[in-house]
Amino acid sequence: MEKYDVSIIGGGSAGLAALKRLSSLGKQAVLLEGGEKIGSKNISGGILYSKKPKKGKAYNVEDIYENFLTDAPYERKITKYILNATSKDKVFSIDLTAAHNYEANFGCSVLMNKLNNWFAQQAEEAAQKQGGGIVSGVHVSAIRWEGEKTIIQTDELEEIEVKAVIAADGVNSEIAYMTGARQKFSPSQIYQGVKVVVKLPEDIMAQRFSIGPDEGAAHLFAGDVTLNHIGGGFLYTNRDTLSVGGVYHLDSLLENPAEPYEIVNALLRNPMISEFIKDEVPLRGEIDKNVAKEEQMRIRFAVTKMIKTWTELRDAYYSKNKREKIIAEGKYSSAEEMESQLSSIRDQMSTKYGIKFGTDYIEEEYSAKLVPDGKRCRMEKPYFKNILFVGDAAGRGVFVGPRIEGLNVGIDDAARAAEAVARTLDRNNFSDDHLGQYYLQSVEQSPYTHDLKSIDKDYLKIFLDAAKDVPKDIISSKYGMVIKMMSSKTLRNFAVGFANILGYEKLLPIIETVDTYVKVPTEIAERLGTSMSSSYTPTIPSIAQRIAKLKYNDDSKSHIKVLKPTSEFMKKMIVLCPTKCYFMEKEGVMIQHEGCIECGTCSEETDWKHPAGEKGINYQYG
Amino acid sequence: MDLINIAVIVKLEPDFSEGNVSYNPDGTLNRAETKNILGPHSAIAVNAAFYAKVKHGAKISIATMGPPTAESMLQQAQLMSDADELYLYSDRVFAGADTLATAEVLKSGILKMQEKMDIVFSGHRASDGETGQTGPQTAWKLGMTFLGNVIDYEIDPAKRIVRVKRFVRLQGIYDVVEEMEVPLPVFIAIDPSYKPKFNTVSQRLAYEKYQKEARVRSQNFKQYLKVLNALQIGADPKLIGIAGSPTIVYKVERIPKGKATRQAEVIDGQDKEQIRKVVARIRQSLSTMVIK
Ligand SMILES: Cc1cc2nc3c(=O)[nH]c(=O)nc-3n(C[C@H](O)[C@H](O)[C@H](O)COP(=O)(O)OP(=O)(O)OC[C@H]3O[C@@H](n4cnc5c(N)ncnc54)[C@H](O)[C@@H]3O)c2cc1C
Ligand code: SF4
Repeated sequence: MEKYDVSIIGGGSAGLAALKRLSSLGKQAVLLEGGEKIGSKNISGGILYSKKPKKGKAYNVEDIYENFLTDAPYERKITKYILNATSKDKVFSIDLTAAHNYEANFGCSVLMNKLNNWFAQQAEEAAQKQGGGIVSGVHVSAIRWEGEKTIIQTDELEEIEVKAVIAADGVNSEIAYMTGARQKFSPSQIYQGVKVVVKLPEDIMAQRFSIGPDEGAAHLFAGDVTLNHIGGGFLYTNRDTLSVGGVYHLDSLLENPAEPYEIVNALLRNPMISEFIKDEVPLRGEIDKNVAKEEQMRIRFAVTKMIKTWTELRDAYYSKNKREKIIAEGKYSSAEEMESQLSSIRDQMSTKYGIKFGTDYIEEEYSAKLVPDGKRCRMEKPYFKNILFVGDAAGRGVFVGPRIEGLNVGIDDAARAAEAVARTLDRNNFSDDHLGQYYLQSVEQSPYTHDLKSIDKDYLKIFLDAAKDVPKDIISSKYGMVIKMMSSKTLRNFAVGFANILGYEKLLPIIETVDTYVKVPTEIAERLGTSMSSSYTPTIPSIAQRIAKLKYNDDSKSHIKVLKPTSEFMKKMIVLCPTKCYFMEKEGVMIQHEGCIECGTCSEETDWKHPAGEKGINYQYG
Repeated sequence: MDLINIAVIVKLEPDFSEGNVSYNPDGTLNRAETKNILGPHSAIAVNAAFYAKVKHGAKISIATMGPPTAESMLQQAQLMSDADELYLYSDRVFAGADTLATAEVLKSGILKMQEKMDIVFSGHRASDGETGQTGPQTAWKLGMTFLGNVIDYEIDPAKRIVRVKRFVRLQGIYDVVEEMEVPLPVFIAIDPSYKPKFNTVSQRLAYEKYQKEARVRSQNFKQYLKVLNALQIGADPKLIGIAGSPTIVYKVERIPKGKATRQAEVIDGQDKEQIRKVVARIRQSLSTMVIK
């Protein structure tokens, strides 16, 4: 049996950070990832933060990857952070940039496939020097102990023996379930996150959001766009795409089931968002059915090719970097030449093939994943024997109000786990709970753990302060009291103090309600918002079209087995599964696993495993 | 233990995927407009060679006969296999070559390579109108043992033998698997169903290491590339190009369409009822089918 010092299970941002850190500390580690390639299974919103907490120290992304700021393919540094309250066509915006900047060095928008690939390159280089590395397309199916030996079993490769394990296998951690280190998360402990990636050329984006080439905007949405669920929507600017989605508490979705894609659609249909995402798109003309079949095919292929050429050139034309690159390569002599070529292709498209141009939006990828609500579900004891749990697997993510932070927390955990393992390897003491206890202590010192236990009153104050400009004259409304309170400095301070006295646990059921997430914002928008209108109606793809666009490596076997086909929970999955995998038959609820995107929503009442190595969903953006 | 030396012969083919392929109004392929890529069967041969690199650190040389633009295809092949050497045999006199004349060029090229080859790989056949003859003919000209339809192979470097599994037709039954042990050197035409398997963590780590090296190498592929003409490979002028080609393609005709006997019915995939009916029909057909 082959032997390695450490095995890391899961190659998301947390697992990769653990590999990089361990390798930098001179230890040999192999990372095993189920997806065909690194990044194919990871999704986020997402904004990756680097923090400078007032108390304690967090390991930031640039502590793990020294060249992060200069070399990493992050999308944009977020410089504008705005909360939008919505009610039908009305929107009332509140600037929350202060909350975004709170204790932060920076926050940048990211797409996980691209970013994790970069992390993997860095980590792998360091790991290879220690005789370790990354192996993808491998699904860890079991871990067993034989005397001193810890043996990792996978579906694809021969077993290996290791001294310690870092479990970074995400929110649906099989390692956690099979060892009994923790229970599956219950609906009250998790959010369902759903997202679409929309294409938008770089320069058009910069102009539309009034941001410079290296700046970015983040918009959050509350109010009726949530279709009455606890949680909120987001729209983040990437380099040449937008991430639009929402994160909603699963118990609130179970109480009031709505199709996840309908919740995303509600966002897309909001006039403010419709206007943000719109672009000029070519519309294929009908091909004359009377001409020969071969000719129809030739036309179809030619049209596809023209649209592709036009789109690629246009994307390049609207991007400073790409434009300069193309000109430097000598393909075009100037931007003007590109422009005239663009318009000549465009003319050809319309005259030769009857292609029209209209306003719409272009959706690239639909995705979904559970998100652990760390303040409700973090593992109190994030280890089992010599396995340390990090990131989503340990249920650690800070979600307070508009704050959505899982990436930075996972990276901090990973660094702590790596250090604990390295230290234990040096002392060669794997007896008792040494490793686990040391890791636990370190995690307890993390500022994020502090945030998961108690509310930060300075942060709360910023949030309340932001609402101070809401005029007091809406006192007559049902929620006027709340708003009035927020507009008075004394009362704001009082609210903060009160929150502290009450304590986190008691406060949560008061703060995280439909009232705060939906009703108050709706009321504010209704009374104070500006009416917006959209210049077009976005053509929203059906769920079938969305699934058809995704890439899968088909698995003939289902990785999910329905255990309780007639339970209420499973019946609700017919609605809540983001890709409509469940349907009703005479015998009860059945699954058709082919379209599954492994979000984990149905996990509570099913026998849920990740697919075998390489199989299943293969995200291109994430 | 000696290093294993492997050569792969590959072919440039049009990219038939939508958006890349162009047709002339008369329905024939527009070669000038269509992108050329490493043919899918050649790609499998390249993969097979890479397997030996991962398992035994084999040295790989990839060769093709083609126009100067075929360079980029060799780059693509290097990216897949971390090839150590690339050869492009390019010469006006090669023009009009049929499979036999092509085999002559490839044979001469392979004989000119620095090492004596232990295994030469070729694809099963090409997808743009070839007959699967180039491989066997090259093997014959090289005087190597030819193994066709190989679906799996393992080298034993110590014994200098190769164990292969290949599809054969036996008493009219297709796809019977034949296993054999053959002393090196051999010429292997790889079957399209070949898939390399790496079952241990160390092999998979080696795989990643070579893939990474391949990315770096293929970015500077010209350092590894030799472009050689007829004279440089010492090919016999009588046996190459038009002169060496006994086959002349007189005309390519479209195969007339057979009359369809099926009756198609259009079903709305969104409609559950209709889909149910389809399932019922399939069930019914299956139940009446008798498997002999
Ligand atoms: C819609 C949405 C928006 C979000 N927005 C933000 C945001 O703005 N900011 C932020 O900081 N966070 C955000 N998050 C949270 C953040 O994305 C996650 O916390 C983070 O991605 C988790 O990383 P991870 O490495 O712990 O897990 P994952 O990224 O889930 O990685 C786990 C990996 O383990 C692999 N794996 C699992 N089981 C096995 C096995 N048995 N064998 C081998 N491999 C296995 C999986 O294939 C996967 O690659 C958001 C999440 C969602 C869904
Ligand atoms: S079947 Fe798949 S996609 Fe559907 S809820 Fe379950 S895990 Fe998510």
